[in-house]
Amino acid sequence: MTALPPTGLSVSPRELLERVATQLSAVVLGKTQQVKLAVTCIAARGHLLLEDVPGVGKTTLAEGLARAFSLSYARIQFTADLLPSDILGAQIFHQARGSFEFRPGPLFHHVVLADELNRAPPRTQSALLEAMGQGQVSLDGVTHPLPRPFVVVATQNPVDLSGTYPLPDSQLDRFLVRLSLGHLSPELEAELVQSRRTDPIATMKAAATGHELEALQAAADQVRVDPEIAQYAVRLAGATRNHAEIERGASTRAVLALVAAARAHALWDARDFVTPGDVRALLTPALAHRMMLKSALQGTFSRDEAGLLLEEIAKKTPAPR
Amino acid sequence: MTPAGRTRTRLVLRDLSATAAFASIVLSGSVPAWALVAYGLALLTSLLGRRPLTGRPTVSVILLLLTAVVLFGASFRGMIDLVVAACTFAGLVTSHRLLSEPTSGTDQQVHLTSLLMLAGGAALTGELWYGLCLSAFAVTSSISLGLSVIEPEGGSSEQLEVRPLVRSISAGTLIALLGAMGFFVLFPRLSWNIASRRTPPGLLGGTTGMSDSVRLGGAGDIKSSPRAVARVKVRPDPGSARLDAYFPGRSFDVFDGREWRGTGKAKPSRQMVRLVKELPRKTVSQSIELLPGYGSRTLLGLEHPVTFTAGSALTATGVTRTAFTEVPDEEVRIDQASNGYSYSVSSAPELQRETLEDAERYQRLPDALDPRVKALADQVLGAETRPLASATALQRYLQREYAYTLELGGDVADPLADFLFVRKAGHCEHFATALTVLLRTRKIPARVTAGFFGGERVGSAYVLRAGDAHAWTQVFVDGRGWVTVDATPASGRGNQPPRLLAWLASTYERLEDWWRARVVDYSFQDQVDIARSLVSPPREASSSRWSLPALPGLWPTLAALAAAIAVYGAVQRGWGARRGKRHAATGFLEQIEARLDRAGIARLPGEPLEELTARLSQIAHPIAPALSRATRAYLLARFGNQSLPATERAALLQALVRRDAPSSLTPSHP
Repeated sequence: MTALPPTGLSVSPRELLERVATQLSAVVLGKTQQVKLAVTCIAARGHLLLEDVPGVGKTTLAEGLARAFSLSYARIQFTADLLPSDILGAQIFHQARGSFEFRPGPLFHHVVLADELNRAPPRTQSALLEAMGQGQVSLDGVTHPLPRPFVVVATQNPVDLSGTYPLPDSQLDRFLVRLSLGHLSPELEAELVQSRRTDPIATMKAAATGHELEALQAAADQVRVDPEIAQYAVRLAGATRNHAEIERGASTRAVLALVAAARAHALWDARDFVTPGDVRALLTPALAHRMMLKSALQGTFSRDEAGLLLEEIAKKTPAPR
Repeated sequence: MTPAGRTRTRLVLRDLSATAAFASIVLSGSVPAWALVAYGLALLTSLLGRRPLTGRPTVSVILLLLTAVVLFGASFRGMIDLVVAACTFAGLVTSHRLLSEPTSGTDQQVHLTSLLMLAGGAALTGELWYGLCLSAFAVTSSISLGLSVIEPEGGSSEQLEVRPLVRSISAGTLIALLGAMGFFVLFPRLSWNIASRRTPPGLLGGTTGMSDSVRLGGAGDIKSSPRAVARVKVRPDPGSARLDAYFPGRSFDVFDGREWRGTGKAKPSRQMVRLVKELPRKTVSQSIELLPGYGSRTLLGLEHPVTFTAGSALTATGVTRTAFTEVPDEEVRIDQASNGYSYSVSSAPELQRETLEDAERYQRLPDALDPRVKALADQVLGAETRPLASATALQRYLQREYAYTLELGGDVADPLADFLFVRKAGHCEHFATALTVLLRTRKIPARVTAGFFGGERVGSAYVLRAGDAHAWTQVFVDGRGWVTVDATPASGRGNQPPRLLAWLASTYERLEDWWRARVVDYSFQDQVDIARSLVSPPREASSSRWSLPALPGLWPTLAALAAAIAVYGAVQRGWGARRGKRHAATGFLEQIEARLDRAGIARLPGEPLEELTARLSQIAHPIAPALSRATRAYLLARFGNQSLPATERAALLQALVRRDAPSSLTPSHP
């Protein structure tokens, strides 16, 4: 296999990814595929959206991601009375010095878990999402850069929607990958119930450093995308736009996200080029939450249907051979 | 295109293809009229989108049983041919299916019955029309079939681009048609015409240019039909575009005031007829084919026919030799009644005959002749008594004083007097009758001869059309024999159809001639000729004129080859533009897939190689390691911008084949 370009890594990107995934799988049981996609998302500099009922391990996954890369971590529980300054931070008047001083909010961490994002009022949501988009926080005319790497893992509960502010599509678009974890199989669940006594997160060891993550992200940037792969991604997006059951298909930003995620996905196979399989693997995680179906009412979740439609589109759109 | 529109298009195309197939049997003219009407009604109802027989199995069974009983009963009693009955039944089953629920199963049944009808049509007719129907069926049915194939199960409303699909299907159909034509040209086959109709064709046949008596009167217009009735090959070939010659068929001696009849006694029939005792030195021989439109058994020949030989009739059982019956000084006719005939005749343009034995037979006048007729002859001729001079004087007079018209004057008591003294206009039979009777009042032997005047070159033969039918006068001149004197003005001779109709007719003739020569009558001998003309060097210039008929076999082949190459190139370019340049690694992928198929690896429908490899690796399939390596190499070569050496490629493929070999072998092939 061809050697990857120098990235400042002592190990190959693939080994690094596998190491992180192994560590994470030890705390998030039985979710190999989701763990892989979550790590892929981070390697592609993306933000992650977890949509699932409470208690299936969303928080564990988010915190595990932070710990695996030995990054600083903060959890923000989003509530109806949460204000932008509660997450961004505020200018505090320093009495001794007689001047204003910026006190950073919980957002100033490498990994931020925005729990139940849709419970916060739109003002707060948009403050978070702006920070996600820009990688910085602007307050009173002063720009404060966020730490790098910066990853937001947001969760939403798709069942209990009363008293929530559904995220507008333009903001959903800022999440690179959307996942749902789902319940464990009965066997795994029984094993878990029997064996687990303490929170495994507390004892989890780091698998990589923040620098290594940055190097990983740089390696993902280097992955080659053949012109025909780009055309394939565009064809897939075009098919979502012309589909009879889809009100609004994938945007150009969505195609960019799809290809970026596919780049990171290629690293798992120790490749420095994207294959159609990479694109197909990320199709649903990267696109399903960005599409609006004709059948879906405003503000409800219809990811499963969208996922099925995307699978159908993937089957009908000829891949480059 | 919306799914509903697609379904509608599919059904309309299906109906049209079935109609093309039905038309192919209708054109043979054998289908009963009631079946025609039933089919027409069904087609109309179907095109309007109504399907009244949906979900009514009892009615369907009763209808089908009824038609089957009627048709095969009629066939059993000998009223219609069994092939016709079967074709008609197929047509009626088709019309029933058109009115049933439009599922893809129904479509398939319609296509199947259409194919049956086409097969029947091939047995019943082999004309150009059949080829047109076949092409129409091929195009419409393949598009309709294609649409029914892509019709999603359960009516899902997904969007599908139909236009490129239709385009590629049309291109495929075109190639198939060209290929079929090539096949037709290169391989011998049964001539459909040989095994053809027992009765004259109904729709396109039946018009006749030749009648068994000449009767003046009648009402309406004479239709100047451009339909070909005879094909004449003349040797030596005069080579001109128009022959403009007289082809006498039958002479009449007795005129009763309204109608000319022949009173000759038929001789016993013979295989060969010779009209003269001694053959003249200079003769012109002709091979004549009388087509179904001719409608008579009287044989034609250029002036003056002396021998008739090699008569054959095209009958239901094939080509049979047939004898001739001679009625002296009147006609030679073929014995067997049939659709078409072919025979050879040789004519002596300068035939001489010294005397006429029964001259009074040609001087007899009708009993109630208007006295003004004789007065007119005396007035025009005065003291002139020489036969030929009298005839030409009267001819000039008639051409000068009388007008030519195809309009009939209606039934009058004395058509001749009506023509000469009242209307002063008529058609060829009036002019010929007038000249003959005027001559006879002067005791000059004369007779009316009916036949054809014309001859238009189509291919290597001259074609006579129904509208070329003509009648003229022959006057007997001692020492010279019968001399033709045509009193009809030159503008009234021969065929005079409207110009557009004439153009259409001649275009059709040319196409049909080509179709007959290259398709229907194409024989093993023609192929041998092609092969010979391809391998042997051209003959000397002196005999090149005679090798001309063999040459046309060469150039259609070359033209077809060039066309095929052009189509192939265009299609390649079109596909190339759409699919981009084919990648070198794609061939490798196809080889891998072929190996997998041969190894019996089950693949999910539409499963790409990457996913298949992942799936097989997951279940630890024995082929998985080798397949993973091959897949990886393919992906690297295809999307990773790396070249794949041929040796490595071969080794990877080899490993795929050897998966069943014992594992001890594997290390020796790292």
